[in-house]
Amino acid sequence: MTRPRALALAAVVVLAVLPWVLVRYQLSILTDVLIFGLFALSLDLIMGYTGMVSFGHAAYFGLGAYGSALVLIHFGQPIPVALLAGALLAGVIAAPVGWFSTRATGIYFAMLTLAFAQLLYTVAYKWRDLTGGSDGIAGVPKTTLFWGGPSLASPRAFYFVVAGAVVLSLVLCRALTRSPFGRALQAIRENERRFVALGRDPRPFKLVVFVIAAVFAGLAGALFAPFRGFASPEVMFWVLSGQGLMMVITGGIGTLVGPIVGAMVFILVQEILSSYTEHWMIFTGAIFVLMVIFLPGGLVGTARRLASRA
Amino acid sequence: MLIVEQLLNALALAGLLFLVSAGLSLVFGILRVVNFAHGVFYMLGAYLGFTVVALTGWFWPALVIVPPVVGLVGAVLESSTLRFIYRRLPIYQLLLTFGLALILEESIRVLYGPTAKGVDPPPLLQGSIPLGAIVYPRYRLFLVVLGLVVGAAVWLFLKRTRTGLVIRAVAQNAEMADCLGADVARVRTLVFGAACALAGLGGVAAAPMTTAYLGMGIGVIVDAFVVVVIGGLGSIPGSMAGSLIVGAAQTWGAFYLPETAMVIMYAVMGVILIFRPWGLFGEEE
Repeated sequence: MTRPRALALAAVVVLAVLPWVLVRYQLSILTDVLIFGLFALSLDLIMGYTGMVSFGHAAYFGLGAYGSALVLIHFGQPIPVALLAGALLAGVIAAPVGWFSTRATGIYFAMLTLAFAQLLYTVAYKWRDLTGGSDGIAGVPKTTLFWGGPSLASPRAFYFVVAGAVVLSLVLCRALTRSPFGRALQAIRENERRFVALGRDPRPFKLVVFVIAAVFAGLAGALFAPFRGFASPEVMFWVLSGQGLMMVITGGIGTLVGPIVGAMVFILVQEILSSYTEHWMIFTGAIFVLMVIFLPGGLVGTARRLASRA
Repeated sequence: MLIVEQLLNALALAGLLFLVSAGLSLVFGILRVVNFAHGVFYMLGAYLGFTVVALTGWFWPALVIVPPVVGLVGAVLESSTLRFIYRRLPIYQLLLTFGLALILEESIRVLYGPTAKGVDPPPLLQGSIPLGAIVYPRYRLFLVVLGLVVGAAVWLFLKRTRTGLVIRAVAQNAEMADCLGADVARVRTLVFGAACALAGLGGVAAAPMTTAYLGMGIGVIVDAFVVVVIGGLGSIPGSMAGSLIVGAAQTWGAFYLPETAMVIMYAVMGVILIFRPWGLFGEEE
């Protein structure tokens, strides 16, 4: 067995064993790490593999959260239906936003995505009848696995749904980046002009990957709403978009696994710092500034470089 | 007469937006950096303005003292962090300024607490003034004038002075300017500081109207992004045009369609980008 494959197998075993080892509070942090890891992973698809930096990715996380919360509250459907609804809602809204935003590149793209995300945030904030305004939607139930199936109310049961969804997403995204489509994305990242010179139009590729990334971000959000029991405008706020970027950079851009590691580091650092000071953002910010200056490849990127050198 | 009043409202808002977006655009034009922390410098200006007014009891000293202080903070941050990563992809610089924004925003929260701080306008600018058939708040007129004066000053500085010439040379081709003996590192620090000072000035000027509050930075940076996307990054006339368009869209939007004012701003931006993806005055990258 090759080393990456052995590592992957070990990771899955650890994920399966951990819920029996960890106490309830630790398990809830681990679930958090996986959900935000998936969010960061989806951002890495467009950022690391296509070179499009979105500053408004939280919008799709938020759409997923609202979509799933509404389905669970009003229709009481099983969790997979809610996940599907959240992911779909994110994808459907991302299509027109992507159509506009991919007209621009680089910094303009980043600013357009931020602007649209703030717009969606405002809609969620103002549309009180549907979203509950600033209060959000509370009391989102963790329903069942399928119609008449087992309840997912226990933290451990829900953890397995999250872990399953995240592992499956990681496998799918990995396959995507190795497909011809994924290769084309990386060609666009490396040299968009050359891609055009070779007779291909990069825009359809960018639009499709933007929507795919939004769907996975929506899935993460759709897991988040029943896990925490609520959806509120904060889950689409720009702060979350920025934190997603931090996770990707901390873990390693263009590595897929890196963003999950980044999410783990980010959430653990936040947990530890917030038990000492309520102003942990200052230290997170400082750590992030140092990471950008000194570790551009992130943790996983740097580790891989060291491993290949050894 | 409603139309005149709203036109003035739009101009006052445009004046504030211009103070912020001009610096954002300038920094992009010369440093090729999108400064996400720019809005936080605006916020810092508003809070420092509150402090100076509280200490001296006067508004005018704040308008004079605060911008250089904010500029100094900006210059120090630029030369201690950003300076080292100009060679990287632009996104790293954007992310770095995002980290700086977090640090600054939270520091302000630590220093000033969570409640908004009100600032009184100076007596000269309090109350309203009859203007033909309408009566209009003096302070808003002041914002219109301030925006125009600063706009003209920045433009003249860039076009008519020797330093302005060097700055434009660095904007056009930093390597060539370096070869010809321009101190590029110093120009960058200077421009970054000056841009932050402009944002600080905007913050002081905004404080009597909006109060100084947490979150005003992100509010203004999103608007300023829209302004520079419409006007074109790196262009001062573009910032002016963009500020006028966004100011108008927000003023009329808030009046006729209060629930969807934001949507109108983005709709205008969308339409402009379909025809000019690099903004009205921008150049293709």
